[in-house]
Amino acid sequence: MATLEDELLDLVAEEALIDRAKLVREATLEDVGLDSVDVVSIVFAIEEKYGAEIAEDAFKNTLNLGEFVDTLKGLIEAKQA
Amino acid sequence: MTHRIVVTGLGAVSALGLSVEETWTAARDGVGGIAPMLFDPGPNGPEGHTTPVAMVKGDALAATEAALGRRVGASLDAFGLYAVKASHEALAQAGLVGTLGARTAAVYGHGFAGLHTLEEGFERFYGRKAARLHPLTVPKVMVSAPVSAIAMEFGIKGPVFGVTSACSSSGHAIIQGSALLASGMADVAVVGGSEAINTPGCLRAWEGLQAMSPTTCRPFSEGRDGMAIGEGAASLVLETLEHAQGRGATILAELTGSGMSSDAFHWTQPSLEGALAAMRPAVDQADILDAAQILISAHGTGTPLNDKNETQAVHALFGDRAKRHPVIATKSLHGHLIGATLALQGVIGLEALRHGLAPAIQNYLGPDPDCDLDLVLGEARPIETDTLMLNAFAFGGLNTTIIFKRWA
Repeated sequence: MATLEDELLDLVAEEALIDRAKLVREATLEDVGLDSVDVVSIVFAIEEKYGAEIAEDAFKNTLNLGEFVDTLKGLIEAKQA
Repeated sequence: MTHRIVVTGLGAVSALGLSVEETWTAARDGVGGIAPMLFDPGPNGPEGHTTPVAMVKGDALAATEAALGRRVGASLDAFGLYAVKASHEALAQAGLVGTLGARTAAVYGHGFAGLHTLEEGFERFYGRKAARLHPLTVPKVMVSAPVSAIAMEFGIKGPVFGVTSACSSSGHAIIQGSALLASGMADVAVVGGSEAINTPGCLRAWEGLQAMSPTTCRPFSEGRDGMAIGEGAASLVLETLEHAQGRGATILAELTGSGMSSDAFHWTQPSLEGALAAMRPAVDQADILDAAQILISAHGTGTPLNDKNETQAVHALFGDRAKRHPVIATKSLHGHLIGATLALQGVIGLEALRHGLAPAIQNYLGPDPDCDLDLVLGEARPIETDTLMLNAFAFGGLNTTIIFKRWA
């Protein structure tokens, strides 16, 4: 069964039309070509799928994809708890 | 300065299929795409209801991504996706993919906008009380989204804009594109229309107008009771004759006449005078008033008033020659594509000329004395004409007629 992290990276690849193989934790959002509209599209899809509520500034200090995914996981797990 | 205008490419997406070939084959064989469908507005709306519509047949997203060789995903509303797919097919046939720039125009027609995206966004906003709408809502919904997507996809950098006139939108788009070419402002124009408005809320709005059939679309038939709305797109590549010949292109047809008029009369009632004011100048320009035979692709919506008025207009224009001309009404196959309908009927009509076969009107129950034309009924009928006449008469009284002549 896919982990939540795998599910989230699949969703990032789908929403931002990025090759899934490029999505590694160390890559920066800029490295993989995620712009601000892509980030909001991903947030939107996650809210739809998981019912989580994500604030506009949740990713203000995010440096790389690992942190991005960790923040999302935290919000989803908080919602499901 | 004026130029002759020719057609060098065609593309189509509809309930009849995802290509011109699929569309023509289904039309020729009378395999229609209108079927009852359940529209469920979800937990915050009223109960779902079932109504006859014509949805696009097949996986348009997968077909588009295969054609373009790249992912498209959720970046386009359906009315943008269909427009890009149809335009790719038309430009590929014309041999122009990858060659376009500042001397190419794109003019595309739509009666509405990206209603699937808008309605889903507003259901989230009003229904589920979510403050945030999808970040691409504006670029997906705006009426010019499909033509911008076409320009970006194919590198079209000349005059690019959308036009809107309800059911005549793609007629006006074709005429505007041809005018840009005739005046020398561009050498190539991608023209057509797209529409995707079969959403739970929008269909209820149409039902409010009392124009929708509860059964199916039966143009010119006794017992006809309204229209069925279809989704899809159709594109034509227009070029100046010099440009097409200069690059050795295969020419399919020439645009030989066009007419535009406004009834300035009523939202939903048609006008004989208004219809004739579009048809007559087109027929005069193409010089076909005495033609032995013309294939007439009627507006033929299946509403009681339109089909009666259009019959009267054909008689008033052609007089005792009216019954020389076979009349087809392909909305009985693909539904009413509103802003895309004239372009799609143009694609099917040009294929009909090429194959020498007129596709039959479907769902016909019997003759109506108010619709005494030479209707093509039963099976596809052999025809001997090189001329196609297309009518579109829009709610709000906006009319277009276009004449194409098959290239010999």
